[in-house]
Amino acid sequence: MERLPRGRHGLSPEFVARNQRERLIAGLTEALFEVGYQKTTVSLIGQRAAVSKSDFYKHFESKDECFYAAYEAAVERVRERVAGACAASTEGSWAIRVREGIVALVMLFAADPALASITLVEGLRAGPGVYDRYQTAVDSFVPYVRDGAPKAPDGGTVPAATDEAVVGGIASLLGRRVLAGEAERLEELLPDVLEFALSPYIGASEARRIVSAG
Amino acid sequence: MKPTRPVLPKEFVAVRKRRRIMDAIAELSAEQGYEATKIGDIVRRAGVARKTLYDNFEGKEEVFLAAIDSALQEALVRVEEACAEAEGDWPAHVEAGLTALLAHLAEHPSEARMCMIDALSATPASGARYDDAVHRFVELMRRHAPQDTGLPPTIEETLVGGVAWILNGQIRRGEVEQAPDLLPQLLEFVVSPYRGVGKSAS
Repeated sequence: MERLPRGRHGLSPEFVARNQRERLIAGLTEALFEVGYQKTTVSLIGQRAAVSKSDFYKHFESKDECFYAAYEAAVERVRERVAGACAASTEGSWAIRVREGIVALVMLFAADPALASITLVEGLRAGPGVYDRYQTAVDSFVPYVRDGAPKAPDGGTVPAATDEAVVGGIASLLGRRVLAGEAERLEELLPDVLEFALSPYIGASEARRIVSAG
Repeated sequence: MKPTRPVLPKEFVAVRKRRRIMDAIAELSAEQGYEATKIGDIVRRAGVARKTLYDNFEGKEEVFLAAIDSALQEALVRVEEACAEAEGDWPAHVEAGLTALLAHLAEHPSEARMCMIDALSATPASGARYDDAVHRFVELMRRHAPQDTGLPPTIEETLVGGVAWILNGQIRRGEVEQAPDLLPQLLEFVVSPYRGVGKSAS
């Protein structure tokens, strides 16, 4: 994120404050990805954001507060992208909508490893305060799978836990790869992830057809 | 005259004390979290001297890691044995393994919370224990799952991750004792991708 010009610039204090806050969030996200949660200090965040330590404390009480804000912002970005992709395919079936959402999700993470890391890895590991947010974030993606889901291929009902397990399973696989430093290669997992997500609802062969048609 | 007490072999007492220390940290971290748990709390709960703890462990983290290792090993052995003893096809193996896992969690709620929730964020080493445990369950599943199914090579990872996520939620809601009720749903989730594909491959 660009830093603002020094000296007199005629920008409103509100604008400057918001810009600083956004830079701090971006700075933390970057630092976290590079050195991990323990080593991400307030000074390091300030350095990355080009914001002084005292200005940091005007925005956040602590590193944790900044982390929570960054986490929420990251999840919001992911959700916007997924919701956008799903909405763009309203003409299609449930399976195509879910496919488009998952493609958008995985591509976003692959293009932005720092975003993938904060949402998928640090959310689970940075402490109890974040863990609750991770849980809420993962749960908030369940409706994208659940809403409009068809009955099981054999005519039976797909168990309610499957919706959650599909979302949790995807988060777990992607998180494991990001943790292993393979965020840029997440795209290669797309066919696997799509087949895993769709099969319980439409069967493996139909799932494969939808995946290869994408 | 001194009161007579049953004389237990020294090694036996030492092992018991070590066990009590590990049980104490599991309970305490489940109740109040790892961070808030102090050495003083652990020795009080275990009913051992502070010196005994330090004779056996370097410090709090080492106690925690030993407790996690022991709990995970127990759970894994129980699931592996159940799978090995199961007769019949793949779904029967999954059912046996899941039944054992769910029963084990329900019987050991503190250990369940320690391994599946607290371990993740307590320390980097305990987080790595969690990853390792997930990996071992993935391997276990790969050993038992039908081969050449044409399913994605990551299928066991996503399935284990999905089951872990459901159990995670159950533990966090404080409903780990009801974990065995999840069996039908989890069984269906794990078995459904293999339905059909296994048959066509064999």
